[in-house]
Amino acid sequence: MFGKLIYLIRRALRNMFQSPVLCIATVGTVTVSLCILTFFAIIVLNVQSMTRHWSQEVQVVAYLDEVPSAAQISALVQSAEALPEVVEVVYVTRQQAFAGFRDRLGDDALLLDGLDDDFLPASLRLTLHEEFRNRLGVEQVVGELKKTGGYSDFRYGQDWLDRFESLLNLLRIAGAVLGGFLLFAALFIVANTIKLTVYARREELEVMSLVGGTSMFIKSPFLIEGAVQGVVGGCLAISLSYLLFTAFLAGGLETLFLASGVAEIVFLPFFYQLLVLAAGILIGILGSLISLRKFVRI
Amino acid sequence: MIQLYNICKSYSKDGTALEDVNLKIPKGDFVYITGPSGAGKSTLLKLLYVAERPTRGQILINGQNVTRMSVAKIPFLRRQLGIVFQDFKLINSRTIFENVAFPLEVRGRKRFEVGKKVYQVLKNVGLEHKLTKFPLQLSGGEQQRVAIARALVMEPLVLLADEPTGNLDLEVTLEIMDLFKGANARGTTVLLATHDREMMRRFPRRQICLENGRLTEDWIP
Repeated sequence: MFGKLIYLIRRALRNMFQSPVLCIATVGTVTVSLCILTFFAIIVLNVQSMTRHWSQEVQVVAYLDEVPSAAQISALVQSAEALPEVVEVVYVTRQQAFAGFRDRLGDDALLLDGLDDDFLPASLRLTLHEEFRNRLGVEQVVGELKKTGGYSDFRYGQDWLDRFESLLNLLRIAGAVLGGFLLFAALFIVANTIKLTVYARREELEVMSLVGGTSMFIKSPFLIEGAVQGVVGGCLAISLSYLLFTAFLAGGLETLFLASGVAEIVFLPFFYQLLVLAAGILIGILGSLISLRKFVRI
Repeated sequence: MIQLYNICKSYSKDGTALEDVNLKIPKGDFVYITGPSGAGKSTLLKLLYVAERPTRGQILINGQNVTRMSVAKIPFLRRQLGIVFQDFKLINSRTIFENVAFPLEVRGRKRFEVGKKVYQVLKNVGLEHKLTKFPLQLSGGEQQRVAIARALVMEPLVLLADEPTGNLDLEVTLEIMDLFKGANARGTTVLLATHDREMMRRFPRRQICLENGRLTEDWIP
């Protein structure tokens, strides 16, 4: 079994060295296809981090009816903190709210002169877990707080949240469609390039079949070859993408994203790099299988 | 060894390649399949190595019904057959040694055994000194000898040859025929499709004549 595997690998490597031009063409095609996929993934990941950053804005502000006693405050904070959706609860006094308002007004703060610093209501500001930073999560929290009572009003930027969710959905759909399309296009292009290799060796395939080679015996070297080309193409694609990323893409994305408040532009994380390699292997093997179907019928 | 019952093969509604062919070839027989071009000689051989399936009828080879044989089993049938073609079907990018070694590698034989057997069979066809050459560096006759060596290296039960001397001159044809006779003497059943009358005159054997897909004559000397 092991000996047979070694034999098949040897044959696959030999085939590759025997037709270097076709081999380079296939590796090149895999590289370019995966490079496009990698760039797409980098953009998707950074857009995701940008939306995650934006989602931090999703907060529930619960205004209090009266100025509560210290005991009441601690009870309200505790009951709010007990909600599974909530990460953090901050109590904002009337004075803190006034100071914050004054800060926001900036040069126009003069307008507040003569007003008492307790005319704004006290409130609780609730920060939610990432997975609940959506309309459903927010409404759930508000529903629970209403049951508790003691609140006069709730604010959570309803309109903004709706628009934000529509944008996220649009990005998700666009990402899935574009990603799927790119993967399919890559497979199609690679399969057609591999078809050239298979076509160049069609006599060998015919002879193998005539002397009693099983379907697996005939196909295996081509599948191994496809997998090896996929790995090499994948490695080259990641390296090339990194070079292009640092040289051009990072700068371009930075001007676009940093303005939106994102801390840094990131390259593909290690796990995703492994996924690109896996995609390379998959594309290589599938491409070989598709091409071989036409030529190996035993 | 080989039995054909009511074999019909048609590629289209109008054209019939073989029609109602019945045939029995015992083990160790040497049979010429003759007839004009388009008579159905190649089709008959293709049915035997299951490159084609009959439209109707049954074919038995060594007790196995190949008509209903699954695709997965075809390679194992072919391992019992040696096939020789007019155009040799050698792999030009492989050396003579590698070409002849192919059927052994397919069966997963050990390297030292492959080397020994290939050398022996190439010696039998008189080409042991050319095992590192490539097919296109050899003459037509030598290439056909390599193809025969490849067919014989596994000592097949049946040797199928489709116009093996079609492109060769008389002297080379005689050499090739010696190889077929030798294989037959060692017990291999030989079916040789040809329309070379001179060859059949020099080496008279059982002759099966096909015309327009029908078996018109079965002559035993």
